[in-house]
Amino acid sequence: MLEKCIGQQRVRRIQRAARQAKITFLCLFMTVVVMRGMLGAGKFGTPAQDLDDLTTHFYAARKHGEPHRVLVEAQPENENGSENDPKNYATFDFNKILKDEGGEEEKPDPNKPYTLGPKISDWDEQRGEWLKRNPNFPNFIRENKPRVLLVTGSSPKPCENPVGDHYLLKSIKNKIDYCRLHGIEIFYNMALLDAEMAGFWAKLPLIRKLLLSHPEVEFLWWMDSDAMFTDMAFELPWERYKDVNLVMHGWNEMVYDQKNWIGLNTGSFLLRNNQWALDLLDAWAPMGPKGKIRDEAGKILTRELKGRPVFEADDQSAMVYLLATQRDTWGNKVYLESGYYLHGYWGILVDKYEEMIENYHPGFGDHRWPLVTHFVGCKPCGKFGDYPVEKCLKQMDRAFNFGDNQVLQIYGFTHKSLASRRVKRVRNETGNPLEAKDDLGLMHPAFKAVKVSTSS
Amino acid sequence: MGQDNGSTFTTQKRSSGGGSALPTTNGRAAGAAARTMIPRGRQIHKTFNNIKITILCGFVTILVLRGTIGIGNLSSSEADAVNQNLIEETNRVLAEIRSDKDPDDPADSTDEPQFLSLNDTYTLGPKIVGWDQQRKVWLSQNPEFPSSVNGKPRILLLTGSPPNPCDNPIGDHYLLKAVKNKIDYCRIHGIEIVYNMAHLDKELAGYWAKLPMIRRLMLSHPEVEWIWWMDSDAMFTDMVFEVPLSKYSNHNLVIHGYPDLLFEQKSWIALNTGSFLFRNCQWSLDLLDTWAPMGPKGPIREEAGKVLTANLKGRPAFEADDQSALIYLLLSQKEKWMDKVYVENQYYLHGYWLGLVERYEEMIEKYHPGLGDERWPFVTHFVGCKPCGSYGDYPVEQCLKSMERAFNFADNQVLKFYGFGHRGLLSPKIKRIANETATPLEYMDQVDIRRPVHGDESSGSSETKS
Repeated sequence: MLEKCIGQQRVRRIQRAARQAKITFLCLFMTVVVMRGMLGAGKFGTPAQDLDDLTTHFYAARKHGEPHRVLVEAQPENENGSENDPKNYATFDFNKILKDEGGEEEKPDPNKPYTLGPKISDWDEQRGEWLKRNPNFPNFIRENKPRVLLVTGSSPKPCENPVGDHYLLKSIKNKIDYCRLHGIEIFYNMALLDAEMAGFWAKLPLIRKLLLSHPEVEFLWWMDSDAMFTDMAFELPWERYKDVNLVMHGWNEMVYDQKNWIGLNTGSFLLRNNQWALDLLDAWAPMGPKGKIRDEAGKILTRELKGRPVFEADDQSAMVYLLATQRDTWGNKVYLESGYYLHGYWGILVDKYEEMIENYHPGFGDHRWPLVTHFVGCKPCGKFGDYPVEKCLKQMDRAFNFGDNQVLQIYGFTHKSLASRRVKRVRNETGNPLEAKDDLGLMHPAFKAVKVSTSS
Repeated sequence: MGQDNGSTFTTQKRSSGGGSALPTTNGRAAGAAARTMIPRGRQIHKTFNNIKITILCGFVTILVLRGTIGIGNLSSSEADAVNQNLIEETNRVLAEIRSDKDPDDPADSTDEPQFLSLNDTYTLGPKIVGWDQQRKVWLSQNPEFPSSVNGKPRILLLTGSPPNPCDNPIGDHYLLKAVKNKIDYCRIHGIEIVYNMAHLDKELAGYWAKLPMIRRLMLSHPEVEWIWWMDSDAMFTDMVFEVPLSKYSNHNLVIHGYPDLLFEQKSWIALNTGSFLFRNCQWSLDLLDTWAPMGPKGPIREEAGKVLTANLKGRPAFEADDQSALIYLLLSQKEKWMDKVYVENQYYLHGYWLGLVERYEEMIEKYHPGLGDERWPFVTHFVGCKPCGSYGDYPVEQCLKSMERAFNFADNQVLKFYGFGHRGLLSPKIKRIANETATPLEYMDQVDIRRPVHGDESSGSSETKS
């Protein structure tokens, strides 16, 4: 047909051109496919990823190599015959140990709203009477020095991460050291008092129980297990808090004006033992009960608070919400402290330790020498954290050594470096040990002195 | 080449489903129909071309498939590679943390470590004289750091563990539980804790590490009257019992043991250095100085081990340990030291766990806390379990179950104060044993173990009333 229009020569030329064009396009197509297979095409992905997507899409139940499941216990190479050795700890399965006896959990009545316990309205009076009857357990150890109970805790089951318990141990040693130097008692909790308030909410029933059981305690200091003391010489400014009942690290603008969900931090806070505190706990608790209540509350909090991601209600967001919406009720007795690091986010602190050692000295408690370095998001006890494992654990070692150096220098030692477990002597021993004074004055610090009374 | 192109082109068009009516198709058909008319050479040529095309197509197909799916191990997908890297990296980090290597070890640390030779004399530090007088003077100058608080002499509990993670994670978990147990006891009884994780003296590592630390604490804290060493594998199981310090006003070392095993049989387990109290005085410093020389790592410790095995009954052959060394020292220099040493066995200052842990239920039924002896042991000490290492002397299951039971047995005494108790001695969960009320202090007064409320019910301890 075309032949008739244009002429045979022409047709053949066109045909040849068409053929070559087709060859070119085909070759181009081949090249593109091969290159994509080899190198990928940016966000469009490689065919391998396409295949992955397809398989994950169609086989949603089967997980393709979770990227986070990396903290697996490395089983050592078993020599023949040691697999069944009953004395070998490496091959033992811990799940054989714990036994959950006495089955029935008390099922909460779904119709009754959740309460932390029977309502108490006269706690100040009850406590006052008790203190009068027990003069040997005063709530103030000295003038301006209240009796403080530091509360922390962890799970009664071993950590999923094989080194998690080791870091918990170092963390509690760190707290023991600070509290010994400052005359503070410690309560390490390993019990879940209320199954409904599990997870981060577990501190509420615990705090209430401790306040009611220890009327001699003036301040209860809650501290997360992933927070460490890094300034051993800093004593809290108790006079500043004589008229407030709750001290948290945070900023007024961020909580009351912006309603920012990280405007304050409930990883380290002080709560006075009085009726106000019990009422606050009662007002704080309702978002906590796990299940539908917590999920629904989470949605409200995400909606109301700035920057909050979507997840179930947590105690910190609930506190921000409570303060922001009921400022008149609670605000005048809450002190949001930002003058020193009652809670110090580790991300901005840990790289500066060497600089701090060079330029400053312990006792400041603030950005120059933080009181507390809090490893938010690291979750050393679990398998999944928000940050890479190496960074978290190595930095926790550094923070621990940074704090430990201040304790060791009392005895004339220090770590060889912030990353090292080994210690070296920095002050020689003499035949007159009582003349030796440590630089920080922590051997016999003023904040540990007992009241000098006339009767011995 | 042009002909090849043409042939390839034709074939590709056909394989890509080009069913369009194009002249070339007709050409091919025409060619096929006309094949019989084509000379042989040309036929061979055409066959060759076809083969080339086939091979080329096959090659391209393989390339494309390889890019898409991969050929097993020859090429893993990217996501797997990333995951694998992550796993390897994390395992490397964990292995590094758990190894004994330290970033500050000198580069030539593969050399033989320097040990003290047999001729060297080892000392804990400069000789101190007149410590009792120095201490007295200091105390009078520092009245805000008295050596007694509320009528009770100041005690410092010293314990510790190595600075690196245990060989297995269960070890760290039980170290944590043991320290919680000690924190609880010490909070109730007003005792301070020092948890040591540093090797102050590289010569005296291992079980000897307590000696330099005890000396250091004595000299730095003259306000402390008693230093109480406790092993990390010992747990308090009687939260009410208090050490009857008034019994020891004329002694400087309180240690659990049996005099007949010590003096008559010269047994290497006659005393136990897992839990003992040292008074802060010159005598103690002298004893530490006399005790230390068998400790330094290397040939000294080895030789000393042989001497001890030869002289003490039942001692296996291994390097010198602090317990055997102390027994040997007290036996060979009996007149010098024994009058100030109180060998205590009226209560379990150290309680060997085998034989105790099975009886906890019986104890709960028949007795009550505060007795401290075989009816309700003060301390349960898990000698030989070694949960921090890889191998113990006893089956793992037995050890761990017993440690869990002891921990919960003690924890029940603490939780009782708050109205809770463990569901069973092996259960991590708790149950309520007293209902919440609006007047919590009434319940508390009845169960508070810090203040004997009903005088007759207080424990058998001779606690001085403040």
